[in-house]
Amino acid sequence: MACQLSFTGFAWKNLWRRRLRTCLTLCGVGMAIGAFVGLVGFSSAFEHSWMQVYSSSGTDFAVIQGTFLNTSLDQSVVGKLQAMPEVDAVSPMIYNVMDLTPEVNALAYGWVASSYEFGSLQFVAGGRFHDGRPEVVIGELLAENLKKKPGDTMVIQGTPFKVAGVYHSSSALEADAVILPLDQLQILSSLQGKVSTIHVRLKPTPAGESPEQYLKRAQGKINAAFPGLRAVPAAERASNNQLVKMAHASAIGTSSIALLIGILGIANTMAMSVFERTREIGILRAMGWKQWQVLTLIQVEAAVLGLGGGFLGVLFGWLGLKVLAALPETETIVSASVPFPLLAEAVGLAVLAGLLAGAIPAWRGARLSPVEALRHD
Amino acid sequence: MTKPILEVRKLSKNYDDGRVEALRGVDLTIEAGEYLAISGPSGSGKSTLLQLLGGLDTPTSGDVLFQNESLGTTVSLDTYRSQHVGFIFQAFYLLPTLRALENVQVAMLALNRGAKHREEQAAALLCEMGLEHRMDHYPNELSAGERQRVAIARALANDPSILLADEPTGNLDSVNSHRIMEILIGIQKTRGMTLVVITHENEIAASAPRHIRIRDGQIEATVSPL
Repeated sequence: MACQLSFTGFAWKNLWRRRLRTCLTLCGVGMAIGAFVGLVGFSSAFEHSWMQVYSSSGTDFAVIQGTFLNTSLDQSVVGKLQAMPEVDAVSPMIYNVMDLTPEVNALAYGWVASSYEFGSLQFVAGGRFHDGRPEVVIGELLAENLKKKPGDTMVIQGTPFKVAGVYHSSSALEADAVILPLDQLQILSSLQGKVSTIHVRLKPTPAGESPEQYLKRAQGKINAAFPGLRAVPAAERASNNQLVKMAHASAIGTSSIALLIGILGIANTMAMSVFERTREIGILRAMGWKQWQVLTLIQVEAAVLGLGGGFLGVLFGWLGLKVLAALPETETIVSASVPFPLLAEAVGLAVLAGLLAGAIPAWRGARLSPVEALRHD
Repeated sequence: MTKPILEVRKLSKNYDDGRVEALRGVDLTIEAGEYLAISGPSGSGKSTLLQLLGGLDTPTSGDVLFQNESLGTTVSLDTYRSQHVGFIFQAFYLLPTLRALENVQVAMLALNRGAKHREEQAAALLCEMGLEHRMDHYPNELSAGERQRVAIARALANDPSILLADEPTGNLDSVNSHRIMEILIGIQKTRGMTLVVITHENEIAASAPRHIRIRDGQIEATVSPL
């Protein structure tokens, strides 16, 4: 029976001698990486949903307040924007998160009844609301959740609204939301005469100009015409809006904590392993193994734990996303297909975690005096 | 007259911040290809001497010279151990997770030799030790005598010029002890290796052409055949 011993084979045998401990460590790392894949995948899908909101309606820009703390802009800007030659249509809006029942809260948008953004919605029941009236339209996911249909009444912050219609949208950010007349949401939010943002759809690109050049030119014109405001391209807005930033921040924050716990798990495993193998390390050194070879052996073991945990984590994360993609509440936000760069990043992170975790045990193992190590019980 | 392969000059080794003097000013010359036995009571310093000869530790004062070069200064201890020394221990010290064939190969990983060469060389050594049918067994499946023979094969894996054996028969019965010593002496003669054996057993000590007795960290007596 052929029995070639390689360096990595030796490392693998060392890990396999304590199968249960190795498996538990792999699971720990796997869960950390799974959290990373799931959370970052979810927040990326969330960003993608925002992009869908813009792309489905043909929105090119979101005009917002240029300052950081004052986030609302004056509604009087709408008419001036509409008058610009490059602009095809504008849609002033407010968005907020509101409690619809003690258990359910949802995104609430305030649109004008004539908004071009209604073009991206398909009404499955009823139709649009009328400006100035206490009416709403709701996404079909929310309608199913609240068991509402056209003609029913919904109470939002103590004010009754009649459901005028139920719509379908390809983005969960709209499918699970409620849309009110702008003036009604301004009252509820105490933002009379103010809007959160104005969506702008440009006219088609003129001949002789590339779409990118046209976009840049229009952006420059709007910024120049309205000092204090910023025209943000839709793609940039999708990734930079507060909700998406919060989603990314919580994903990174939570998965960082999980990863730290995974690193501690590997570090503990490697520290125990080096301690248990003190005499064996002495034997290796007696045979002429150099310090860097001992260090490399222990680091290879740590990296293998990271790599194995990484692959397991990708599987856990994919399964988690698959479950979310099957749930009605999240099926339009989340896709079970994880982009390859995220998978590669996850596995790379896991290997790096293994190397970091194994560094101190490896250094200590390499520094053991051969004589002292041989004397160890 | 052969050149000395190992030489120690005024060799001293202290432990516990000088409270324990394991060796005190030892001078010793070992010729290339010589078989030397070292005996002495427990705590006399013989294992310490062997460790210093093998580059496992560094002296507190004095010098260990290998082929006239100072160990730890001119010659790196790691390189010395991997290329010139083979160790055999009383407790065998085989790695429990590796088969016999793999235990021999693990020594060769220090020198980064090719995988095929490692396997072939290891198999050849185990055959030489009469273990051709035991190569795939783990140490806990081997008898004490077999384990020590695997340990000898491992010690020879990197073609060393020096074999250092610390009580190689200490955990063996008389039959296996006799067999192991036959193997060691046979290797020493056929390969022209330098063999240094630490032993408690008078019979083994007497079989060596030169026998040194150590007591209290110093060479008490040297016995050579007439």
